[in-house]
Amino acid sequence: MLDELRQTCRRLLQDGAVQAVIGYGRASPDDPAVPVFISKPEDVDQLVWDDRCFANLTKYLSRKEVLSLGKLAICVKGCDERALLVLEKESQIDRSQITVIGLACDGVGQPRLAKCESCDVHMPRRADIVVGKATVPDADAGAKRYAEIEEFLKRTPQDRMAYWKKELSRCVKCYACRQVCPMCYCRQCIVDKNRPVSISTSATLKGNLAWQITRAFHLAGRCVGCDECTRACPAGIDLRLLNLSLAKAAEENFGYRPGMDPDAEPIIGAYSQQDHEEFIR
Amino acid sequence: MARIGVFICWCGENIARNVDVEQAATQVAELPGVACALAYKYMCSDPGQSLIRQKIASEHLTGIVVASCSPHMHLRTFRKAAAAEGLNPYLVEMANIREHCSWVHHDRAEATAKAVELIRMAVAKVRCDHALQPIAIPVTRRALVIGGGVAGIQAALDIADAGYQVVVVEREPSIGGKMAGLSETFPTLDCSQCILTPRMVDVGQHPNITLHTYSEVESVEGYLGNFKVTIRKKARYVDVAKCTGCGQCWNACPSKKTPSAFDYNMGTRTAIYVPFPQAVPARPVIDRNACLHFLKGKCGVCAKKCQAGAINYEDQDTSVVEEVGAVVVATGFQLYQIGKERNGDGTVGYGEYGYGEYPDVIDSLQFERLVSASGPTGGEIRRPSDGQVPKTVVFISCVGSRDNAKGLSYCSKICCMYTAKHTMLYKHKVHDGTAHVFYMDIRAGGKNYDEFVRRAIEQDGAQYHRGRVSKITQENGRLIVRGVDTLVGEPLTVEADLVVLASAMRPADGVEPLAQKLNVGYDENGFLSESHPKLRPVETNAAGVFVCGACQGPKDIPESVAQATAAAGKVLVMFGHEKLAREPEIAKVNETNCAACFTCVRACPYTAIEKAEIRDRKGNLVKRTARVNQGLCMGCGTCVALCPSKSVDIEGFTEQQVYAMLESLE
Amino acid sequence: MNEANVFQPKIIAYVCNWCTYLGADLAGTNRLEYPANVRIIRLPCTGRIDFNLIVKAFERGADAVLVSGCHPGDCHYTAGNYHARRRWILFRQLLETLGIDANRVHFSWISAAEGKKWQQVITEITEKTKALGPYTAYREICQEC
Repeated sequence: MLDELRQTCRRLLQDGAVQAVIGYGRASPDDPAVPVFISKPEDVDQLVWDDRCFANLTKYLSRKEVLSLGKLAICVKGCDERALLVLEKESQIDRSQITVIGLACDGVGQPRLAKCESCDVHMPRRADIVVGKATVPDADAGAKRYAEIEEFLKRTPQDRMAYWKKELSRCVKCYACRQVCPMCYCRQCIVDKNRPVSISTSATLKGNLAWQITRAFHLAGRCVGCDECTRACPAGIDLRLLNLSLAKAAEENFGYRPGMDPDAEPIIGAYSQQDHEEFIR
Repeated sequence: MARIGVFICWCGENIARNVDVEQAATQVAELPGVACALAYKYMCSDPGQSLIRQKIASEHLTGIVVASCSPHMHLRTFRKAAAAEGLNPYLVEMANIREHCSWVHHDRAEATAKAVELIRMAVAKVRCDHALQPIAIPVTRRALVIGGGVAGIQAALDIADAGYQVVVVEREPSIGGKMAGLSETFPTLDCSQCILTPRMVDVGQHPNITLHTYSEVESVEGYLGNFKVTIRKKARYVDVAKCTGCGQCWNACPSKKTPSAFDYNMGTRTAIYVPFPQAVPARPVIDRNACLHFLKGKCGVCAKKCQAGAINYEDQDTSVVEEVGAVVVATGFQLYQIGKERNGDGTVGYGEYGYGEYPDVIDSLQFERLVSASGPTGGEIRRPSDGQVPKTVVFISCVGSRDNAKGLSYCSKICCMYTAKHTMLYKHKVHDGTAHVFYMDIRAGGKNYDEFVRRAIEQDGAQYHRGRVSKITQENGRLIVRGVDTLVGEPLTVEADLVVLASAMRPADGVEPLAQKLNVGYDENGFLSESHPKLRPVETNAAGVFVCGACQGPKDIPESVAQATAAAGKVLVMFGHEKLAREPEIAKVNETNCAACFTCVRACPYTAIEKAEIRDRKGNLVKRTARVNQGLCMGCGTCVALCPSKSVDIEGFTEQQVYAMLESLE
Repeated sequence: MNEANVFQPKIIAYVCNWCTYLGADLAGTNRLEYPANVRIIRLPCTGRIDFNLIVKAFERGADAVLVSGCHPGDCHYTAGNYHARRRWILFRQLLETLGIDANRVHFSWISAAEGKKWQQVITEITEKTKALGPYTAYREICQEC
């Protein structure tokens, strides 16, 4: 499969169909793959593909220096590919200008990441070129999608708050969660705004909680569950739980999963008169 | 450095009884930025306002807080007072210590403490206020009227008579609408065409009116005062400028069998036709689905007959763009489709009445054509199946109206009246005939309306039966109408020669896409939504767009005309200004920070936010951004809540102000 | 003055300008008495009321927050309340996950005609919050700096 990938990229570069390929490379044998930006056909051998290719490369599509490379091809797994659709819906990318190389994927990480256990997009669905073949997802993959959050919600509210207090007290406000998120493309993040200060910038529990509420809620109906935030967090906070709870709410209440259906209207910025309101007096 | 003046009103005893205003003044005087704080008996009175003005001048105030009643009561008053003294009116805030405090909290200490806190919040807010200037929107003093029925005609004539240009768009080949096809009108029985056609002619000849018939609104751009409307003129295949309307063509046309839409398929017309003799403009169109030239490639009789050389088989649809400042929507109604599927929702109503199956079951507009002197029978009442004069006619009201099970929930309002009229017209023409009416109840509210119905029953002998009809069958050429008379409490069967169904009134086809183009709301039945049911009955939530006639809800001719005049009046109020002043408390985008996700564009209820591009001097794209159209924004702030980077804010209710108010709380 | 040992909750109400604010005005006009704990912040529309204002209110020591606007179909701006409702559905899930007490965040539709409802809602929220006691859990979060 790797040969096929390299050949595909070589051809794209040789033909001039694209000027650069965003893919996975390896900096050191023991570490996860790193992003590489290949501009010359002879460099395609730097590309790698294995189960340590975690990164969601779509993040780089909003980087100025990457865009300046010219017409781009990008390698995406089925999960990452969903981000492309969200970015397209939010006018951040011109999909027609990007060659999408879909990578068949049976999951990454040893052991498999939690998101891979319930993954139902082993094969990218809207890629221009698909490389490789993947196994068919388990029929009950979808059923497991929200298992962790459902388990977490069985705890008492006090217990939940205690959990987050403990977890978030470790946050150092490095904003790695924001930096890796493909949906965090704001030119100036709300947390960096100082007139008025919306979120306390010091790494105190107050500011950390406000930041994570904000980050999670800004992803409501947008997060594709790539879990890069969780992977990037140096404090090891399970941010996935927050994202998952909103993904669950989006699917349960509005039948919506971001990045799945190109014809579905994004749920934020829209409404239905039938939205439920039993919680409103 | 802020110098805030705080003015606390006693409101006589209203505030002072439960709030210690003097103590409150003493307390808030200590707040940072407060230059003076004082209490007075009636701040809204002349001396009260003078006091505020004096202090603005003597204390060099940069903002004021009036602690008194609700801002809905007097914010405008105090803003005016400030403006009169040269202080920008948007540097005035109010603390509502009456409705929200002294009137609802009777513990004096508690109420005073809360009043102080409310004032503190207002001071915090006013310190973040900044001067705003009203937004001036230029107005194109030219109106568009969509729909050329009686409502559209009235609105167009009123605006044109006031001296402004009016563009009328009508999708049929002639103006006149539904009223042009009616026989006589209740409650006076004056002939519909006799009163309408002179007004149609007025429209056709008015120097201020541009008429586009056989045309539809394709797209609408712009906003209040500055609309650009693209109108598609459908190909007529007749050059209107050359045509004299002599009639040689339609008299000679060999294709004569097309059902006439104007007669609701009760008669036929030729392929080249004017819908009715008094049409305005009196210029024909060719129906290419009936014309032998288009169907078979031969014929050309009309072209040969036309001495003016007006026939043009090569004619194409064309577009015109009209720039207008206001739009009046008067698209009218159609009848509920009896026994057929309703649009989309799959409900089938009243198949049991046999409409469409039995030729002698017709709807009320078809009956109008049967009675009309200009109709297919020349005004003689002859039933469609065999041309016999019906001796027994059954009229059924509320077909589709007031029926949650199968029809529409609302009352169509005019059916009781026209059904009474129908029985009278019938009786006047068929003296030995009998008219039966099945009704739910009679709604005849209106000047001379109930008298009219009484006349139908008492003088013209209409047989009214309170009850519904369950089924109509056909036997030996007669219609067996099975119903019930609930006043007698017995089933009732009438053998009839003709049945007329008073079908419910629905908005005209295509009104929903039009409403979307205009950004006008509509209800679940498709009737256009007025801005306020009582106080803004002809305005819509789309600024500069007005409604009148049956597109807004079921109504009769006098009401439609009255509403049309009202809509025209509103247009003229707008046209009374060269520029419109709009409130500046609206959304504002920080275009440098905007990430151009355009969630706000999707969400804005007024389509007031557009996708814009920022380019450098050489024309290279620097970035894209959301941009607020000041003519459209109403200041709801939905965009602010949705913007993740808060690159948009609402003047007068800024994020900073809300935070400052929160911070001020103890 | 209140007894020093009686807990007086701090309640922040974000209300829309056209329905709930006027509903509260009407409560005043009709002299409908209710507890003095609520502080109203007037905004144009519920569509403007973002989740961060709720967070901020708690940070500023609120013991309960109310968000209130026009009934569905009555929004002065046609649809702001529908947008708001959809966000609240999602936001409530996040609050649940975080263990933030749902009994301290209230939502209501109160029209300009519902002065009585305003009185009832505020009275009930105040009583309920008094029973819950101060929101120390959130205050602790804000004090650990």
